[in-house]
Amino acid sequence: KGFHCPDAERNCNPCLDAAKACNLNNSCKKQRSAYIATCSREDPNKGESCSKKRCHKALRMFLDRVPSEFSNRLLFCPCQTEGCAERRRQTIVPDCSYKDKDKPNCLELRRVCRQDSLCRSRLADYMVNCCMTPPTASTCPNQDNHQACLASYTRLIGTDMTPNYVDSSFSNWTISPWCTCKGSGNQEEECMNFLRYFTDNTCLRNAIQAFGYGIDNVQSK
Amino acid sequence: KRAQVPKPCSLRKLEVTVRELKLGYESDETVLLRYCSGECTAYRHNYDIAMAHVMRTRFRKKGRKVSNGPCCRPTAFEKGFSFLDNNSRYHTIQNISAKHSTVS
Repeated sequence: KGFHCPDAERNCNPCLDAAKACNLNNSCKKQRSAYIATCSREDPNKGESCSKKRCHKALRMFLDRVPSEFSNRLLFCPCQTEGCAERRRQTIVPDCSYKDKDKPNCLELRRVCRQDSLCRSRLADYMVNCCMTPPTASTCPNQDNHQACLASYTRLIGTDMTPNYVDSSFSNWTISPWCTCKGSGNQEEECMNFLRYFTDNTCLRNAIQAFGYGIDNVQSK
Repeated sequence: KRAQVPKPCSLRKLEVTVRELKLGYESDETVLLRYCSGECTAYRHNYDIAMAHVMRTRFRKKGRKVSNGPCCRPTAFEKGFSFLDNNSRYHTIQNISAKHSTVS
């Protein structure tokens, strides 16, 4: 690995390189085209722009069938420009798979997720493998098991708890599911604790950075 | 120098950026394009051989032209290819890459 940019290279875009690597592989190209086509197709049955359900299924299929060396490069490419970070944000076709008309409360979204066996187990898996180990809260469980955290994160894509980069910032990126803790009432603390598993998770952050830069022991940012 | 033996009609590969396809999409994504190229002389029917002769002897005076032999063309295309353009929009293009080449 180690696909980070040489300092002088201004046009360097590791996310574009990841797309190229996928397109040059017959199976990856086919599977990627399949989910993109599904997720950007208008749904004729409803007035909606796409079928989220079909898009989620297509995304899960892509991530199931394509070797993680391709999908991880697309999802976790290290960016030093906004154009790169925007491409990274777009990987999962967020307009269909991520965004929604309303932004639900995170505890409500968690409740919806737990009603679905697939989402429930994948979320539980994520909470275990990307858990922050106090008191240092800087590494992943199981001897810095970054791979397990990235794999669990990836398996959440295509569920109701689909996470994504919230914007195209490259220096200060944040990951979150499509939910908010506004209007949590007396459960605000519980909600924030849950949301922080995505937005402020040092294990996940280190795992993504370690993947991008090909180093396996990056210190917390 | 040895005479070049013409290669028979077959599927070839080429790496191109979507922009280079000149279909109006502004994208720097690279795709593997499959295309058909090569000679079809081995696939000529009696029809083609006869027509080549008839063309020379009978049609030349009348200025008539007949296709001289089979062409090397795709008989099937790969499924649609999807990509992200430089304005963060996804597109899918159909029939851009050959799947099989046969003489037609």
